[in-house]
Amino acid sequence: MLKSFAAKAIVPPAIAVTGFVIVCCILLYSVIKTDMLNDTIQHETNLAGTIVKSARFAMLKDDRETLRNIIDNVGQQAGVEQVRIFNKKGVIAFSAHPKELNTIVDKKEPGCIACHAGAVAATSMGRMEQARRFVNEKGKNVIAITAPIYNEPECFNAACHVHTAEQKLLGILDIGLSEEPLQKTLGVLRGRMIVFCIMVLLLAIGGVSALLRRNVLLPISDLTDYVSAVKKGDLDRKAPACRDEIGDLAHSFQDLAEKLKTAQDKLNKPDQPDDTTANRRS
Amino acid sequence: MKRALDRPTAPDNAGTPPDRDLVKQETLQRIERLRTKSSRGLWAMALFIAVSIVALNDFSLLPSLPEGIRAALGKPPSSIMISGALVVYTFSAIILILSRMMGGSEEYSGFSHVGYLTAFYGFYHFAKALGDNFWAVFAAGITILGLESYHIWNFCSEAIKREEEILAAIERNNRQ
Repeated sequence: MLKSFAAKAIVPPAIAVTGFVIVCCILLYSVIKTDMLNDTIQHETNLAGTIVKSARFAMLKDDRETLRNIIDNVGQQAGVEQVRIFNKKGVIAFSAHPKELNTIVDKKEPGCIACHAGAVAATSMGRMEQARRFVNEKGKNVIAITAPIYNEPECFNAACHVHTAEQKLLGILDIGLSEEPLQKTLGVLRGRMIVFCIMVLLLAIGGVSALLRRNVLLPISDLTDYVSAVKKGDLDRKAPACRDEIGDLAHSFQDLAEKLKTAQDKLNKPDQPDDTTANRRS
Repeated sequence: MKRALDRPTAPDNAGTPPDRDLVKQETLQRIERLRTKSSRGLWAMALFIAVSIVALNDFSLLPSLPEGIRAALGKPPSSIMISGALVVYTFSAIILILSRMMGGSEEYSGFSHVGYLTAFYGFYHFAKALGDNFWAVFAAGITILGLESYHIWNFCSEAIKREEEILAAIERNNRQ
């Protein structure tokens, strides 16, 4: 089957078009996924910044009740899976989940190891390095980001004098959002791209196959039938009519068949003199 | 040039016809060589699938590269840059294979493509983006090597058919 003319004409372009469209779609999906993930992390960073700014006054006044309320209210927002503030030693001081209050964050957790991989913890990181993705205890995919709360002149000059000027980092806000909306959007995008791919492939391969079948394969098949019939002795059969090179070839075969028929007729009637013999006699 | 040298033994200048047994022997050797060559595509495909199995889990089967060598290699290119290169490579490889098919060339470069595709796996691995782009490299590899395999198999099948016709002609002459 693969040795047939149809296979030789259709298989290479079909493989080439199918493969290239699939490669491009996978790469496009991967790029869009990365962009959407970056946007989500950017959105989360902005959210963390907003929370830190809205809690700044409460922190300056050392108003722990207000700060606890802010963290609880943010934690109740749909899509927020976790929100907590822990100090430099990793002790969780505020959290939307009361169970983890006063516990110590594991520095080997995926979100912490990036800073704490070396002997001395890194104090500044890029936005993308701060983000981490994991599955929480509820089985939900979470994108979390840690936003450092730096020591500022207003902090170490405040009346409470809890922090010294040498202390660079006061604590860390850790917020995690559910990946569900992102995964849902990516799922819709994936489905649309698959449908688009199938449509492109059907149009490209179907179009090429249909045109080839109509203009090349069927005329060749008709010509093959005609030549087979001639071979079997059916010399009166008409050649298939085509306006292209296949038509010219069919006419040439028909001419040959007609000449063969004339020659056979002459052989079958040997008593009838041909024109040349008659002329010679006269 | 290579194809011209592979032609059956021609009559010499004195017009002496070539020895039929020698021509038959040479034709049989050429058929054997073509049969071996036609299976090269499958070998390259098998090698690529083996490399892909190793790459599937981010090369976890292999020991990780020492930090010193990794630092010496420098910063890896971004995944977008690698993806752009992969699209350009896939497109140009397909065009080259189709043009070789059109020209009826005997050239086969499947094993080189396995090397290039392995390099793409490597680049994505170092850019920490192999998880998202593995199937793109795999699809590119299957497409390119599938076309190469089809091309070399088709070319060898046609060449074998021509050689078999020569054998048949020799047999006919021997009978006469």
